[in-house]
Amino acid sequence: MDTEELADSKLKHGSETMKKNEDSHSDPAWNLAELLERVDNDQELLRDLLNIFKEDFPLTMRSLESAVAAEDLKEAARLAHTLKGMLSSLGGVRTAAAAARLEVIASAGETASLKGALQALKCEAASLLPELEAYMAEVRH
Amino acid sequence: MKILIADDDALSRRLLEKTLERAGYEVTAVENGKQALEQLQKLEAPRLALLDWVMPELDGPGVCRAVRKRSEQTYVYMVLLTSKGTKEETVLGLESGADDYLTKPFNAEELRARLRVGERILLLEDRLVEARENMRFRATHDPLTSLLNRGAIMDLLTRELHRSHREKKSTTILLGDVDHFKRVNDTYGHVVGDEVLIETANRLLGSVRSYDFVGRYGGEEFLVVLNSCDPAFAPARAEAIRKSISNGPIQTAKGSLSLTMSLGALMSSDWGLRPVEELLHEVDTALYKAKASGRDCLRMAQPIARTEPVTAPLLQPLRLQH
Repeated sequence: MDTEELADSKLKHGSETMKKNEDSHSDPAWNLAELLERVDNDQELLRDLLNIFKEDFPLTMRSLESAVAAEDLKEAARLAHTLKGMLSSLGGVRTAAAAARLEVIASAGETASLKGALQALKCEAASLLPELEAYMAEVRH
Repeated sequence: MKILIADDDALSRRLLEKTLERAGYEVTAVENGKQALEQLQKLEAPRLALLDWVMPELDGPGVCRAVRKRSEQTYVYMVLLTSKGTKEETVLGLESGADDYLTKPFNAEELRARLRVGERILLLEDRLVEARENMRFRATHDPLTSLLNRGAIMDLLTRELHRSHREKKSTTILLGDVDHFKRVNDTYGHVVGDEVLIETANRLLGSVRSYDFVGRYGGEEFLVVLNSCDPAFAPARAEAIRKSISNGPIQTAKGSLSLTMSLGALMSSDWGLRPVEELLHEVDTALYKAKASGRDCLRMAQPIARTEPVTAPLLQPLRLQH
């Protein structure tokens, strides 16, 4: 191993440790490692998935907001289910969990808890989206 | 191997598509259950299907139920993709006809392993179908010559006579017998006798059209059914078939043998619709006459003399022989 490789490996190791410390208190907003494993480290596929997500997520989210506002429980449950699917495929663990909670609430007909659950989902999405954006900007170069 | 993916979520669909393509599958991806069912109903449809549980139009279990309802098509191995994975859901999915289920988000390695299980099941099905087809072939064909056996050609002849009567066409029935076959067996042995029968079968098959039937009636007797055969050409066609045996010697392990065939023939247009046994008796009589006339010749069965023309009583529908 030459000096450059050594430095490189230290850097990698360092960043992994840092990430671990950061994530130790809860699930990460975005589990990139799991996603990379799922796509077999295929960067092109990963970019594809992120692009699809960038297009589909805001549309579905807007429909969900309308359904919640109209207290259309069936539609809200369906849309929350769709969001949960795409988020978990992408490794957005915490946001997926928030979508799953909303789906359960809508399916159970708990109208009173619906808006709170939507708020929680938006909150999680707000921490996930910048991470995805940052990654996309990084890989673009 | 072909595989169908049905998932309404574009992201999940793309991920599955790429993962499976990388694993060597030929992927068709659709976005709802209705499209999935359409794909699975096509000719040469995929026999492996990965179906999302919740989909618009028709959900995954709905697709499974619809596919399992049809019995005539080949088996489709279906895996449901579910995000909940509760026991109730699992039971419901499997009861709908799915073979397996996977919880989303899937692990690529596990997905591939489960699909390999599906491929093993499909391979097993292929072998079963092949065995069944072999048995069906053996039940209807003569093992030595691979021609239709007596039962099978009698069934076909009965059906053909009814069809030609309905369509006002003529069927010609030929009964051929290899001349002096016993002498071949006695002189050269049964192995050579078998070679002669096989070559006779090949020559008969080679001298008829693809929609005619050739069967081994028994021993060295062969039955040929010429479907929709114009009565004006029937004697000439029968002669050509007879000559296919005497045209050139048959090569056997004990050298080449020149053989001939005697032939009796009957045209359904001359006889009307009668029980198949009766017609075969008449064609057998014609064959006997050919033998009595010195062999290597054709004799046409002569219609029974009757005063009235072929009318209603003779054209009554007949019992089908099973």
